[in-house]
Amino acid sequence: MSGHLFALVDVNNFYVSCERVFDPGLEGRPVVVLSNNDGCVVARSAEAKALGIRTGAPWFKLAPLAEQQGLVARSSNYELYGDMSARAMEVIGRFGAWQEIYSIDESFLGLPDGDATAAVEAARTVREAVRRHVGLPVCVGVASSKTLAKFANHVAKNNPGFGGVCSLGSMPAEQLRRLQERLPATEVWGVGRRSGEKLEGLGISTVADLRDADPAWIRRKFSVVLQRTVLELNGTPCIPPIDERADAHQIMFSRSFSQPVGSAAEMREVMAVYAQSAASRLASRGLRASVVTAFAGTSRFAAGPASNPTVSVPLAAPTDDPIEIVRAAVNALGGRVAPDAAYARAGVVLSGLTPAGAPLQQELDLFSALAADHDSPAGAACPDEAPQLSEVLGRVKSRFGQTSIGLGRGGLSEPAAWSMRRQFSSPKFTTEWKDLPLVRG
Amino acid sequence: MESSDHAAGTVRPKAATGFASPAGDYYDGGIDLNRHLIPDRTSTFVMRVTGDSMAASGISDGDEIIVERARTPRPGNVVVAVVGGELVVRRLRHDGEGGALETDPLPPGEPALERIAGGFVVWGVVTRSLHRL
Repeated sequence: MSGHLFALVDVNNFYVSCERVFDPGLEGRPVVVLSNNDGCVVARSAEAKALGIRTGAPWFKLAPLAEQQGLVARSSNYELYGDMSARAMEVIGRFGAWQEIYSIDESFLGLPDGDATAAVEAARTVREAVRRHVGLPVCVGVASSKTLAKFANHVAKNNPGFGGVCSLGSMPAEQLRRLQERLPATEVWGVGRRSGEKLEGLGISTVADLRDADPAWIRRKFSVVLQRTVLELNGTPCIPPIDERADAHQIMFSRSFSQPVGSAAEMREVMAVYAQSAASRLASRGLRASVVTAFAGTSRFAAGPASNPTVSVPLAAPTDDPIEIVRAAVNALGGRVAPDAAYARAGVVLSGLTPAGAPLQQELDLFSALAADHDSPAGAACPDEAPQLSEVLGRVKSRFGQTSIGLGRGGLSEPAAWSMRRQFSSPKFTTEWKDLPLVRG
Repeated sequence: MESSDHAAGTVRPKAATGFASPAGDYYDGGIDLNRHLIPDRTSTFVMRVTGDSMAASGISDGDEIIVERARTPRPGNVVVAVVGGELVVRRLRHDGEGGALETDPLPPGEPALERIAGGFVVWGVVTRSLHRL
């Protein structure tokens, strides 16, 4: 036996499916989920797809027809999706020799390479378990490489006859050939539109064409990345696991504003909030950061001056301390915020990540740390045995809720004017006590 | 001398924390309700009840209930079910045709079993009611 098979488990229409778990009345209706600030469509139910609604369609164009079409819109409810994702990923992980979470709604899973029937059986078990535990529908593709597992998943998702599970190993060769001849090469994982056009020009238009291309020639004409894709399509696994890839080396928190941010003072508030969110992601991954980067940008479409400052601040030592990170982010942009510019977006990036290891030894002084930035009248030092501030913040948040405590603007429960517009948001069903789903007794 | 380690060895020099408690050796954390009420965090959900039709089963208006999705529903269980697109809490009964949902107490004049046109789907099994006294 050659070791493992690759399964790709993918939640169908993830955002919409999360909404439906707690609002079963949405089942069978066309539903879309909108991007930040309710701008455009980011997720569609099958019924919404059938109405011809495209991903990226601006909501203001759909809204006038929504009532007539019975179309339901929801704002992105990241708290709900994040919690449901964590639940689904944990369930999926229970069935594999290894698990690699690829995105909020996709996970690779290592299945034992037994006979083909066993692989289909395992995939069905995963599908049933996620449905039963979390209430989410998933499709599973199983094959001998990640790229092929993605392909199998695509087949399972688009051909209802497969019952949500497709294992290439148990598929007759003739059927596989027909499927690969029908699907364009651009549907292959990792083949972008530009490569697709170039491939087309060289006579490679379907998945089957790409599979049969000479890997060495592909490397010369394109890149080692596309060569790997060809090898993977032939069943040779060669795509490295996710934590070895470059994008695992930074944490970013960025958003677009519902209203432009103009003043330096407002921008400091934004940075305080975003840096705290980035810092809590950092802590939850057990990492410390060496560099804090703050950036802001005006909209390309706005009148007025363009301004896109990005400033990186190295930290004295790698840290996961939210105070240090917030202070660095708040001060980073400093004089770079143009007084007459209308900023449309901003973000904080933490990089130079290292594992946190042992807890920090330095004693933190809550009041003097804040006094340095905010002229706080309380200059008194904490007792030596005071727990670390970051730990206290974390504990208070988990006990009293996300908005109960924070640094600077991040501590206010009333959202600031620039915070995201989420007009059609469902409640935070699984993360906020006041938002629990209602059930009729 | 049996407790000399305790008296001297573990006191940190700059901390004025008082005497180490002799109970410290026996303390390994308080009661963690999550551990007892949420056997599997992937499949356990908390919901809030509106209405009193299950009051005799100890589930009143405003109570929070703990719902296990992964548990197999059996006749006699209190369940959350989807009826006409809505979540309701009811007792599950067998009535010879697969199943039926029952309120508890039965509202005056209502049939004992709530027969659902188009059927119903069990969402999860209710394991606890958190009733405020």
